[in-house]
Amino acid sequence: MTLDSSPGLGRRSFLGGLLAVPALGAVLAACGDGGSSAAAGAATLKWASSFFPTHWDPVVGGSGAQFRHLSLVYASVTRVNEKGEAVPDLAESWDYNDKGDQVTFHLREGLTFSDGTPVNADAVKKAVERAKTQEDSALFGDLTSIDKVTADGDLDVVVDLTQVDYQIPLLFGERVLQVASPQAAADPKALDQKPVGHGPFVITQLIPGTKAVLEKNPDYWDAANIHIDKVELVSAPDASTVVSGLQTGVYNFADVAAAQAQAAEKAGLDVFVQPGYNASNLSLNVNKKPFDDPKVVEAVRYGIDRQEFVDKLTFGYGTVATQPFPKEYIAYDPQSADLWPHDVAKAKAALAESKYSGDDLTIDLVIPAEDPAAEVVQSQLAAIGITVNIKIDKNWATPFFAKDLVASLYGTTGRDSPLQTLTAHFGPNGPLNLSTPYEPDGFEKAVAKVRQTPLEDGDYEANLQAATRAGLVSEALVFTYSQPSVYAKDPSISGLPANPGHINWTGVKIS
Amino acid sequence: MTRRIWALPTGKVAFAILALVAVLAVFGPLLAPHDPLAGSTTTLAGPSGGHWLGTDYLGRDVLSRLLDGSRTSIVGSLEVALVALFAGAVPGIASVYLGRVFEWSVLRLTDTLISLPFLVFAVAVTALLGNGITQAMFVVGVLVSPLFFRVSRAATLAVARSQYVEAALISGASFGQIVRRHVWAKVLPAIGVALAQTIGIGFVVVSSLTFLGVGVQPPAPTWGGLLASDLGYLDYQPWAPAVPALLIMGTVSGCNLLADALRDVQTVREVKSVTDPRTVLDQAEPPRGGLA
Repeated sequence: MTLDSSPGLGRRSFLGGLLAVPALGAVLAACGDGGSSAAAGAATLKWASSFFPTHWDPVVGGSGAQFRHLSLVYASVTRVNEKGEAVPDLAESWDYNDKGDQVTFHLREGLTFSDGTPVNADAVKKAVERAKTQEDSALFGDLTSIDKVTADGDLDVVVDLTQVDYQIPLLFGERVLQVASPQAAADPKALDQKPVGHGPFVITQLIPGTKAVLEKNPDYWDAANIHIDKVELVSAPDASTVVSGLQTGVYNFADVAAAQAQAAEKAGLDVFVQPGYNASNLSLNVNKKPFDDPKVVEAVRYGIDRQEFVDKLTFGYGTVATQPFPKEYIAYDPQSADLWPHDVAKAKAALAESKYSGDDLTIDLVIPAEDPAAEVVQSQLAAIGITVNIKIDKNWATPFFAKDLVASLYGTTGRDSPLQTLTAHFGPNGPLNLSTPYEPDGFEKAVAKVRQTPLEDGDYEANLQAATRAGLVSEALVFTYSQPSVYAKDPSISGLPANPGHINWTGVKIS
Repeated sequence: MTRRIWALPTGKVAFAILALVAVLAVFGPLLAPHDPLAGSTTTLAGPSGGHWLGTDYLGRDVLSRLLDGSRTSIVGSLEVALVALFAGAVPGIASVYLGRVFEWSVLRLTDTLISLPFLVFAVAVTALLGNGITQAMFVVGVLVSPLFFRVSRAATLAVARSQYVEAALISGASFGQIVRRHVWAKVLPAIGVALAQTIGIGFVVVSSLTFLGVGVQPPAPTWGGLLASDLGYLDYQPWAPAVPALLIMGTVSGCNLLADALRDVQTVREVKSVTDPRTVLDQAEPPRGGLA
């Protein structure tokens, strides 16, 4: 800098400061953007997703939200319809033996995976066995009822069960049994990078964690009802930019945060809530202090104001959750609808009766990422005298599933089998039961009764609701609210089937 | 020095901005009109008499959160600057005097540090050691330290070759005595410029990390964190991100302007020294009260 210019404002320093924040914001907001989309065809779905799969091997991917994306590539033995009932997919029918401990699935004839391998009974058998035995399987806990699978000829898959269990057709749906080509699955690591299935689309390009390009599979069994030629699936950038991307045509379909729904509507996009089984909860570990005292658990149950979660976090799209099912679902137990209403006085009274009364009660609420729900929990428990320290742990999954945490938050997308949902939450080894091996009294018996009840039986609904009621005795979970699955799409895309918890592209057209 | 800086327009603006920032850092939490963590049923409200900057998504007073969050952001940037100063300037000066092995080693280490992206490294460290701003800023400070290393080493090399330092060495002055008496006074102005710049850099880094949710545990407010959360509710409060953004921008500008002013003052002094015959004469003589 010369002496002549020194008395004035330094241009570089001024601009440096001026540009610092906008540049920072722009760069950070753009993190994860896969760039502009490729050339769009007449029927190209350009889907920006916040749940871009981290794994493309369905066995590793598990039953969480990512199964929806994997279902583009993989078909499953069954699927669910708009009522949540099991309907044919790769299997065109199935039947149980008289005792109910064996079910035979009859596969469609003449199907092939996209690598040319035939879709037959042996492929399904290998898919089940892989899910049960593969070291990094996220599904083995869901298949405890499966004793063995045998191929009876080319098209009949005989599943022998360890117990009477009429839930298997629901279990073998998209969340648990998406079937990969056995030839490709011989090398699971390779399958994870290059998925091969018999889904409605075939993957042509995969940039891990960022982008996948898929084209219509002409050999798909229901190809006549698939009207989308190409799918460009990208990992959604910052939530605040998704609506802009939809407006400008970078995407034509995206999941959006509830806070962005209003902006999407104003932009002329179609905003809809896909029905589902989403339920968030506060997970407590009754094996650790202070939740080893039921009175502290009782205090927390009364201290939680579910309506505040709905009001502040869902922008009118969500609902309160007192159990892991929505009100309209068959497993929802009306008798358990309001077991623990928000009552600060009762909460404080319960805390006063606990063995920790008078102590400075402080707990660590460990979560994987910033979540306003944690701050709501913190303020609500502060009101009854419990101090909550929110701790973000990027490696959260390890201590959570090892059941090492005292408290955490979890949001499930549900399961097609309501019994699977119940055992995942309340079972002694349920992945979502932070208090393993704790199990509420009577739960095991109630679950067994449901398993033994055919889905068409008149008692099924009552037995299922009784199992829900038994599970909700659990002191390990406090359900809070149902986070809505809000989507925004360009009006050129026709409406999606309202299959609960699923994204199904059958019959969807892009004009 | 302070008077000379104040005499410059850049200096006045820088002092005004940084004085305000200092007040916020010290008294910000005390000035907050509401509990920054207390929510209410009035969420995402616009500015009003009760809430000058409105409320956030949980109904908390935005002004109170900005005031409360100022300390974390500012202290974090100061930590970066001080760690960088210590980790860079000390070996920078020492590398001139402590022999070739030490010199070669710190030069290679500095080259290595320069090649590391400090933002990514800070994120990795918080993943490893826990999500805390202190450890993140410590690492950033170490990674920024080559700036001080280069500045202090260059200034020291210039002084080390001067005749009066050589005379002091011949007279048996120790390394410590030379640094205290001769080197430090020459290095200090350059380090001052670097320090002001580094505080600004530190502020951008703190803001970036807290924008990404790294370094602080919710619900503790920070300017970067508030900026990030405001971006999620643009349809309800489109003006909201401007407030933390302006605070971050203003603070960084203040640091940069101070660095400019310091450099200008230093440049004027150097030009004067060169053109003033008495100064030239002074420099030719051994320093008064020197070691000879």
